[in-house]
Amino acid sequence: MAVDVRTTPVPASATPGSRRPRLPRAERLRSFALFGAPGLLVYTCFVLAPIAISFGYSLTNHNPFNPPTRFVGLDNYRLLFTDSEFLTSLRVTTILTVIVVIVPNVAGLGIAVLLDRKGWLYNALRTVFFTPMVLSSVVVSVVWTRMLDDEGLVNQTLRALGVEQPPGWLSDPRLALYSIAIILSWQMLGFCVVVYLAGLQGVPNELAEAASIDGAGPVRRFRSITWPLLAPSLTINTVVLLITAFKVFDHIQVITHGGPGTGTTATIAYDVLQTGLVANRQGYASAMAIVMLVIIAAAAGVTLKVLNRREVNL
Amino acid sequence: MKHKALLTAIVTTMVAGACSVGDQQTAQSSGGAGKKEISFLVFETPNMTPQVWDTAIKRVTDKYPDITVKKLVAPTEDRVSYAKQLLASGQFPDVMIAVSPAGFAESGAMAAFTPDELKDFDFPNNGAVQGKIYQLPTNTQTIPVVYYNKDLFAKAGITAPPKTYAELLDDSAKLKAKGITPFVIGGGKDPFASTLAWTATIATDVYAKTPDWMAKRRAGTVKFTDPDFKKATEKFAELAKQGYLDKKDVSRDYAATEQAFLDGKGAMYPMGNWFAAAGDDPKRKPSWEIGAFNWPTDDGSVVVPAFTGGGLSVSATAKNLPEAKEFALAYTLDQTNLDASVHNDGLYPAIKGYTPPADTGAVFKLGYDLYQEGVKSNTVTQAFSWEAGDDGMLPGVVDKWRAGAQDLITGNKTVDQVLASLDDEWAKAS
Amino acid sequence: MKDSRLPWLRPVVALVISAFFLVPLYMILVNVFKQGEKITQSPASLPDPPTLENITGLLGRTDNLFWASLTNSIVVTTLSIILLTVLSAMLGHFLARSRSRWARVAMLLLLSGLMIPPQVILMPITQVLRALGLMTTLQGLVLFNVGYYIPFGVFVFTGFLRGIPIELEEAAAIDGASRSRIFWRVVFPLLRPATASVLIFLGVWIWNDFINPLVILGPSQGTTITTGIYRSIGQYQADFGTVFALMFLATLPVLIFYLFLQKHFVKGLTGGATKG
Repeated sequence: MAVDVRTTPVPASATPGSRRPRLPRAERLRSFALFGAPGLLVYTCFVLAPIAISFGYSLTNHNPFNPPTRFVGLDNYRLLFTDSEFLTSLRVTTILTVIVVIVPNVAGLGIAVLLDRKGWLYNALRTVFFTPMVLSSVVVSVVWTRMLDDEGLVNQTLRALGVEQPPGWLSDPRLALYSIAIILSWQMLGFCVVVYLAGLQGVPNELAEAASIDGAGPVRRFRSITWPLLAPSLTINTVVLLITAFKVFDHIQVITHGGPGTGTTATIAYDVLQTGLVANRQGYASAMAIVMLVIIAAAAGVTLKVLNRREVNL
Repeated sequence: MKHKALLTAIVTTMVAGACSVGDQQTAQSSGGAGKKEISFLVFETPNMTPQVWDTAIKRVTDKYPDITVKKLVAPTEDRVSYAKQLLASGQFPDVMIAVSPAGFAESGAMAAFTPDELKDFDFPNNGAVQGKIYQLPTNTQTIPVVYYNKDLFAKAGITAPPKTYAELLDDSAKLKAKGITPFVIGGGKDPFASTLAWTATIATDVYAKTPDWMAKRRAGTVKFTDPDFKKATEKFAELAKQGYLDKKDVSRDYAATEQAFLDGKGAMYPMGNWFAAAGDDPKRKPSWEIGAFNWPTDDGSVVVPAFTGGGLSVSATAKNLPEAKEFALAYTLDQTNLDASVHNDGLYPAIKGYTPPADTGAVFKLGYDLYQEGVKSNTVTQAFSWEAGDDGMLPGVVDKWRAGAQDLITGNKTVDQVLASLDDEWAKAS
Repeated sequence: MKDSRLPWLRPVVALVISAFFLVPLYMILVNVFKQGEKITQSPASLPDPPTLENITGLLGRTDNLFWASLTNSIVVTTLSIILLTVLSAMLGHFLARSRSRWARVAMLLLLSGLMIPPQVILMPITQVLRALGLMTTLQGLVLFNVGYYIPFGVFVFTGFLRGIPIELEEAAAIDGASRSRIFWRVVFPLLRPATASVLIFLGVWIWNDFINPLVILGPSQGTTITTGIYRSIGQYQADFGTVFALMFLATLPVLIFYLFLQKHFVKGLTGGATKG
């Protein structure tokens, strides 16, 4: 422990050469006990320990309704990678995640640029875009079901406009997943707008004005001044969207129940609960959950790393 | 140190709160000399409102003053999953209603009823698990009855309900030609609403011939891919292919589906006879007349798919087990409660010597008379996917079967693909 | 910056896009005040005449579902977010300023906690709570919330702390102030925007949480409002007016809370990072 390891997060003001003397060991322990320990203790009890328990179950054939529970080693994991249902739900989840990472990010940036002005109108509109953030997923799901089912507002409007066979937004197996992705994007859009607006307000006006005087057009100004300064906002949005989309469950449960039919909107989280709670195969469901956790942690880790490096390079 | 003080205050409040909640609990369970408390898990639907439950429970506790009942309410209609969560988290209720005993019974969570306790029931062996009864076989439901819209039938020039399957197809074609959707179906968050026509064809083409088909499937001597089951499935798939079942409807939840039939959005509505509660409701009653018929067979003989069960179960670990059983039986056999279940939920009590009250609605009578036809000709079969205990599918397969129905309706998968995947799922679940 | 040409273009485009975005929110709002049977027929029309029946029917339920669960929700949410703010600010500060490799490991473990779907660990959590004797108590739910959401708090606070120069603290230390005194007197006041965003986001999430209160509080200890609302959807499923009223009532308190704090919280999320 004598090596002075530089750790993240790095204080912004610290320069590589400024090595401060470390506090004495007793002092460090005291501050850990006071500041670090309480939070970590609760976290360990309610997150780390349950994960460990889950992992333990994933090595068994645990089924509370079909004892005895036997240790089966890595059998569950081996089975997973040949289980077409699991692989399908992985594909479904990936498609959903890709859409939900892109759509609110792009649309949110556009709307934030649009709303980056002073005045009551823009303040009011900002509030409009934030509001879905406070709605629970179940509320969002119920309202959107009412909008998108065949007798819902959207198809009523389309019929009034003369479309005879409007699409079955939630009933067509090829469309249902995309409809869910749009619903989730709608709900998350507000978050992205907020974060980008905050980023935009951090862009000094003088910089843009100076560039403008130098003859740079709006596109050029955006690309060379605004966009680089929005890098931290992009990082936050991407990671939050990635995590939210990958673990989506409520919307599926309330809107489609994993349907229509098989292999359409059943995400991994939905599959985990269905396997564990409905089919009672809790050992197998735990293995799914662990694989899911590893995938999402890897994806988020890589994304963070790439985007953070980009932030530093800009 | 203002903040430290605040933190201490919060922690103290929480600890104090813990104590007071604990006190409440002990006070409740020991309060009142000789009072035995039992918890009772119920669920709420448009028919079964909080008031309905409270009055039904009070009728029993009035007769048994030493029992107090704590009513628990399931958060969704999926009572079984909720009961599993409660069991897993050590909160299994003492008494519960309409929770299929499959799984709970085998693992010893539920208490079996003795033949003596079951002496008043018409079908004392229905829904047995390994030969024992864990859920009171309280009432019978026909699943499905085909309700139809007499107005729309007249518009399509159909004068009488179909007697044979060929006539049913014929009538469907006539309706469709007039631009009327022949069948009203649903789905969305209630996938069962997609499946009732399939339950009907399985009754007429599988169960009528092989009443113990499910026992054989459990023994592995029949498969989903066998010819009879395939024929029943092809009939169902054909209805979808011809457009008699509208694939757009698989995203419509159950409540909206029922409303769609009442709003005249389709001509025929295969549904459990509990639909009577809505059809007879003066507030929701349509302006046109509702008719009903049993799903027709190829040769015109009568087959009535029905499920008997749905009653109360008792936890094996209930603190006051004798009282819990006493309550379950008293609740079930109370004449007024039975009448109420007829009025509120359109059920047929399967209790010896019970006859429904005279003032039931017209739609209820339609279904009840159709059921009696089946009883007379001795052709009441199981209702596929609704069976309980040993008569039912393995856990998890029901959901795959329902998803399979939607795959057939949307044309996403072929009959062979669906049936083969059901055999796979069965293998995984066993 | 001024929009030099076409000054009307920006507000018009903004209004049109917002209008589309607003449709679902508008649907909730008009249908709360509309008679049930009119909702299916004309979901988008204005309530004519408006009715309060949907709302009064709920508030007057004989089992007091609304008011009892509202109290539970307020207690659980308030206790959880206060504890979370205090604990995650302290932990975040500790980790941001520590140079030990263990701090880095802890940070990674916490970050992965952000990614866990709560359903996945729910059953083991009930085992832990039972072992601690906290199952079916409000305290158990609060502690679970603290454990489950602390990664988010730490994430926001450490991000924000990156923008606060450590020299401030060092100066205070030279003056002889103790570490906790420095934290509460010097650092914590500077974290106000981050605190606002932690309070808002966690407040909203905890308020809207459905599955955890459902299982942890259990059926016999009452419910939170979100859980209570979805429970009664079963009863009112055919009555869309009441369903919309339920949703409106469940959302209203948290919407007010949010509007109240919204000015502050935006900076908290990115403030540290953009040094704004």
